[in-house]
Amino acid sequence: MSEFRGSTAVVGVGTTDYYKRGTSPLSSAQLVLQAILRACDDAGADPRSIDGFVSYAGDSSEGLAIAAALGVREVRWCSEVWGGGGGGVAAAVNCAAAAVHAGQADCVAVYRGLSEGTDGRRAFNRGHMGHLYTAHSMIAPAQVCALRTQRMLEVDGVPASAMEAVALAGYHHAQRNPRAVAYGRPLDHNQYQNCRMISEPLRLFDCSRENDGAAAILVVNAERAGDYRGHPAYILSGVQGAAAGWTESAENEDAYTSAGFHPKLVQRLWEGAGIGPSDVNVAQVYENFTGPAVAAMIDHGLCPPGPGAGEYMTLDNLTVERGRLPINTAGGNIAEGFVHGIGLVAEATRQIRGDSPNPVADAHISLLIGGPMAPLVSSTVFGSSATV
Amino acid sequence: MSVVPSDLRITVDAHGKAVAAADNNAVLADFLPDRIGQLIASADVPADLSTAVVRTITAAGGGSFDAVIRYSRLDDSWFDLRSRWVEYDGGWRVFSVRNIPDTPPWMDLTGPSADGLDTPHWNGLQADKLMLQHCRNCSTWVWAPRPICPSCHSFDMGWDDVDPVGTVYSWTRTWQPFTPEAAGHLPYVVVLVELPAAGHRRVMGVLAHADRRTIRIGERVRGEIEQSSDDRHWPLVRWHSLGAA
Repeated sequence: MSEFRGSTAVVGVGTTDYYKRGTSPLSSAQLVLQAILRACDDAGADPRSIDGFVSYAGDSSEGLAIAAALGVREVRWCSEVWGGGGGGVAAAVNCAAAAVHAGQADCVAVYRGLSEGTDGRRAFNRGHMGHLYTAHSMIAPAQVCALRTQRMLEVDGVPASAMEAVALAGYHHAQRNPRAVAYGRPLDHNQYQNCRMISEPLRLFDCSRENDGAAAILVVNAERAGDYRGHPAYILSGVQGAAAGWTESAENEDAYTSAGFHPKLVQRLWEGAGIGPSDVNVAQVYENFTGPAVAAMIDHGLCPPGPGAGEYMTLDNLTVERGRLPINTAGGNIAEGFVHGIGLVAEATRQIRGDSPNPVADAHISLLIGGPMAPLVSSTVFGSSATV
Repeated sequence: MSVVPSDLRITVDAHGKAVAAADNNAVLADFLPDRIGQLIASADVPADLSTAVVRTITAAGGGSFDAVIRYSRLDDSWFDLRSRWVEYDGGWRVFSVRNIPDTPPWMDLTGPSADGLDTPHWNGLQADKLMLQHCRNCSTWVWAPRPICPSCHSFDMGWDDVDPVGTVYSWTRTWQPFTPEAAGHLPYVVVLVELPAAGHRRVMGVLAHADRRTIRIGERVRGEIEQSSDDRHWPLVRWHSLGAA
């Protein structure tokens, strides 16, 4: 088993409120700083002792600027994951863990913040869709994911009910999360079926919608985890990457209805953690849109491909009360709030550390799946102290 | 053929008059409340309207009806909107609306990319050709375009024109007005077309005459290069159905 397994841990989690986009009273940098300070508070860590900064997807708050605002004593690691948008979210965690594991830094903050006031509208999409898309009226990521989802439904035979289950599961969990944008606004089958179409087969409730906000975690060496407050969430394994024939190809990707988590990458994830997909107790599955989330779960072997996906992907099976695999237990991007997926990192670690709005009983293995159908994808497995 | 309910006739007639009179409060009150924003931005409705005439109301399945209303402008030109009406809260509300006949949008984000890698493709369209990248060394068709051949690493990347005939690899019908240029053209269908003549590379484009059509993956299509009526837009391939595979 790899030396990377369990050698690092998340010891602090911090989140801001989720604001309706364009309404945050704080700038993106201030949101990030608030999230990092809250993560430090959660950990009992001195903010000035953070010596590494990692983000992804072109965050407007560069690590060095954040470091300067925090007045840190020294910066030893400062990196951003290239490309892939939300596909880079777990890769950012993995990057921090790799740096700590290699002794390049002692305490690395992984963060992402967005505010429309600072970053403009649809900042998460910047640079992704060139004129070979836009000239043909392909303007939004929803349309790209709709093309791929349509083929998954029509050719692979995945039932559309699998997508609905992802949306309903998020809304269900959000009803116990007062911070969630959908708190107090439950969603049922009829509301889902009757909501307006965005780009077929994606309906309104299949789509995440951007919020202002930020979240951050602190990654340290597992041997030092005892210096911090609370239960550490150990990083058991992490993968990032893109298969051959995949990435920025104007819809010419191989394995077109996959979410991009190719078999070798998934195999490395499980082998690194020393587990299989059936060992996962709870999963945060990035749903930019529900279709890609279903594809990501199929790629990871969490649910069967094709028509069989419909039997696994049901509201009951994906929710905390009775589900075999509860997903998006704080509401996910769709119902908690969308800040490029960083909220899923917070919830994945809170399932181990505590403070989840929907704690899964005896959760020892918590899976984070980054942005699916993105040019670059990534995943991370977190474990409790019982797993290391 | 369902009988058109009399209260629907009255509602549609009043709706047309409210649109023509630019009585926005009355118009918005006719829209399904959860999609007012989408409906407002979907149709292209000029400000200088004079009259509205309800031309047809026909059953559209599931208890819904399609109404076609012809609006005249002060200069006597006219256009048609087709609205779909559903029962809601004891009355009738607009579920969707579009300009007919359907015409494809022309987007402002068009033409060669900043790095110039795809410039020959756009120049080809001006010459009425669909040009894709074609390695001069190993004859691999490459799309999206790359700075060198990913297959043989040759720097000698050429461009050749392709017979624009293929099959629908996937499709999506977009209802959301993501940009102002789409107004008046929603919903529109974008197809991803697999081109056997170009090593099965896939290209995107709007499917012409797709209004109310059921699209199927595998359907055969032919591309026609359409020139814009203004000088701000580059030509584009629009795809036309040739029927089932």
